[in-house]
Amino acid sequence: MSATLTQKPAASSAPPQAPAVGHSGPSDSGQRNQGTTAVLAFLRTAAVSAGSGVWKAAGILAFLALWELGPTYLASPSTRVFLPPLHEVLAAWSKLYDAGSIQGHLAASLTRSVSGFGAALVAGVSLGLLIAWYGRLNSVLNPLLELFRNTAALALLPVFTLLLGIGEESKISIVAYAAFFPVLLNTIAGVKTVDPLLIRAAKSLGLSSLALFRKVILPSAVPTIFTGIRMAGTASILVLIAAEMVGAKAGLGYLIVNAQSSFLIPDMYAGILTVSILGLAVNFLLVALERHFSRWRTAVGAGS
Amino acid sequence: MTAKISLRNVTKQFTVRAGKGSKAASGSQAGTGSGTGSGNGSKQPTVLTALESLSLDVRDGEFLTLVGPSGSGKTTLLDLLAGLSTPTSGEVLVDGQPVLGPGKDRAVVFQQYALFPWRTASANVSIGLEGKATDGRRLTRRERAAKASEYLKLVGLAGFEDRYPHELSGGMKQRVAIARSLAYEPDVLLMDEPFAALDAQTREQLQDELLRIWRATGKTIVFITHGIDEAVYLGQRVAVLSARPGRLKEIVEVDIPDRDGDEDIRSHPAFVEQRHKVWTLLHDEVRLAQDAGHRKILPDGTAPDEPAGNESTLERSAA
Ligand SMILES: Nc1ncnc2c1ncn2[C@@H]1O[C@H](COP(=O)(O)OP(=O)(O)OP(=O)(O)O)[C@@H](O)[C@H]1O
Ligand SMILES: [Mg+2]
Repeated sequence: MSATLTQKPAASSAPPQAPAVGHSGPSDSGQRNQGTTAVLAFLRTAAVSAGSGVWKAAGILAFLALWELGPTYLASPSTRVFLPPLHEVLAAWSKLYDAGSIQGHLAASLTRSVSGFGAALVAGVSLGLLIAWYGRLNSVLNPLLELFRNTAALALLPVFTLLLGIGEESKISIVAYAAFFPVLLNTIAGVKTVDPLLIRAAKSLGLSSLALFRKVILPSAVPTIFTGIRMAGTASILVLIAAEMVGAKAGLGYLIVNAQSSFLIPDMYAGILTVSILGLAVNFLLVALERHFSRWRTAVGAGS
Repeated sequence: MTAKISLRNVTKQFTVRAGKGSKAASGSQAGTGSGTGSGNGSKQPTVLTALESLSLDVRDGEFLTLVGPSGSGKTTLLDLLAGLSTPTSGEVLVDGQPVLGPGKDRAVVFQQYALFPWRTASANVSIGLEGKATDGRRLTRRERAAKASEYLKLVGLAGFEDRYPHELSGGMKQRVAIARSLAYEPDVLLMDEPFAALDAQTREQLQDELLRIWRATGKTIVFITHGIDEAVYLGQRVAVLSARPGRLKEIVEVDIPDRDGDEDIRSHPAFVEQRHKVWTLLHDEVRLAQDAGHRKILPDGTAPDEPAGNESTLERSAA
């Protein structure tokens, strides 16, 4: 169950609440005064949010600057070949983009991860609900699940390749495998940790078992399930890239290794950059979904 | 007056895994009059008698309060009435019919509110209305919302329909819980220390509102409490349970003239007298319970109960 312990990233650095201050200003002290207050409040909000934006961006900007200037001024010429400055990478990226090859590789990777992830989602949630609901099933399957969960997915890559070939099936399967366990285990944990008092209350309200499941157990498990889904998203991208590096003819992982072996170093970095942006985007999307479905849990996102 | 609820010789036993201190426990098991499986320090499960041959009638429309030392089986009794568990022996009848499970004719209000945190106040109140009603009709969403508003208004929470539980105070949450249990119009309201977690002012306020609702709706109410004042203030009768195993020790008729008057009935001589009577009854039992070292059972079924000093229990069951 260690899966559930992973905390959400502290993504909730709440936006500044200056507008409220502006509105609560003295309303009967003349139009002009009010206007000034509003303008001041607006400026303050803008300044604060710009300020926090600058702070947030500062780290990234510093990193990019180091990337741009470091190789030219700090690195030895031989290292510089393997560490091209940012503008060369961006140039390579836009060339790849114009040739449509980034899009092609991205599409290949996305297709695989979405199908694998989707399959894992459906299988993990439904099996998890079943296992949690039927306690007997849990005691039979639990040791087995522990064993599989603790076998790193990538260790099984050769097995998948042997059995399913180097085509799409093996890649989709290994992504599904890697994404399956976080979803499954968090679903089980979510169902098991439903407050027994709520179950008593629901029973006393005369809910049938089906209604109890649908209206009490499922909603209270949803936040935990979404934590699992977010972890699965991260895992599926990781495993997919690795799998594509080992044997594939398309995909971002393939782009990266292929560029490396063809000594197209800027292209390789363009691939890496795309992977990290994809990862960020997926995580952002899943965190937003998770937040949306856990609104009732805390005050975040409700009111204010 | 007919009996709305009757308990006939109800006994409820739990099977408990014997803990490490089971030497002492086996002594007490003998004391509770149930010998099954109480071997010498064995790991065998032992039987714990929570309620023993309890008979009690609650009249239709009555407000009965129930007091007893901790561990005397009050919650166990309420669970039986609610249909959340079944008696080991004896009968639990509501309207002359044996209780077979939870039903729409009874509602429970819990001490810890037990609201569904992902539902708004209004949705919490209407959850009991979502299934088919007794006449087989299903209310529309709008009808349910209207009904929820009506009951939220009854408990003084008009305008709070869209609040989530975490946006409400403890008193408000309990009001929502009361509205939820009233909304599907049960005949019987079962309340387990509903106001125990509230501060004194809120508690008094809710007590008065409960009395008002009771008078307005004519429900039969069984109300468990630790507070002697509360028991005497609210109840028409106060049932006092003995220390474990819970038996009905006595029923005190609370007879305070001019109850609906303006004056503070808590200082009325009759109130003081009844209060003292209940206090005396309960005090003996609480001491007994303490002597026996009764503590509550853990959720996993183990009883960290009864170290030494079970003589009092033994004496009692011998008597
Ligand atoms: N599920 C259970 N399994 C085993 N024993 C139980 C269970 N529930 C209650 N008991 C036992 O039954 C006895 C009565 O418990 P109950 O919860 O009814 O007491 P209570 O009168 O409500 O106490 P309190 O005033 O502290 O709430 C306790 O001593 C407890 O050890
Ligand atoms: Mg209790």
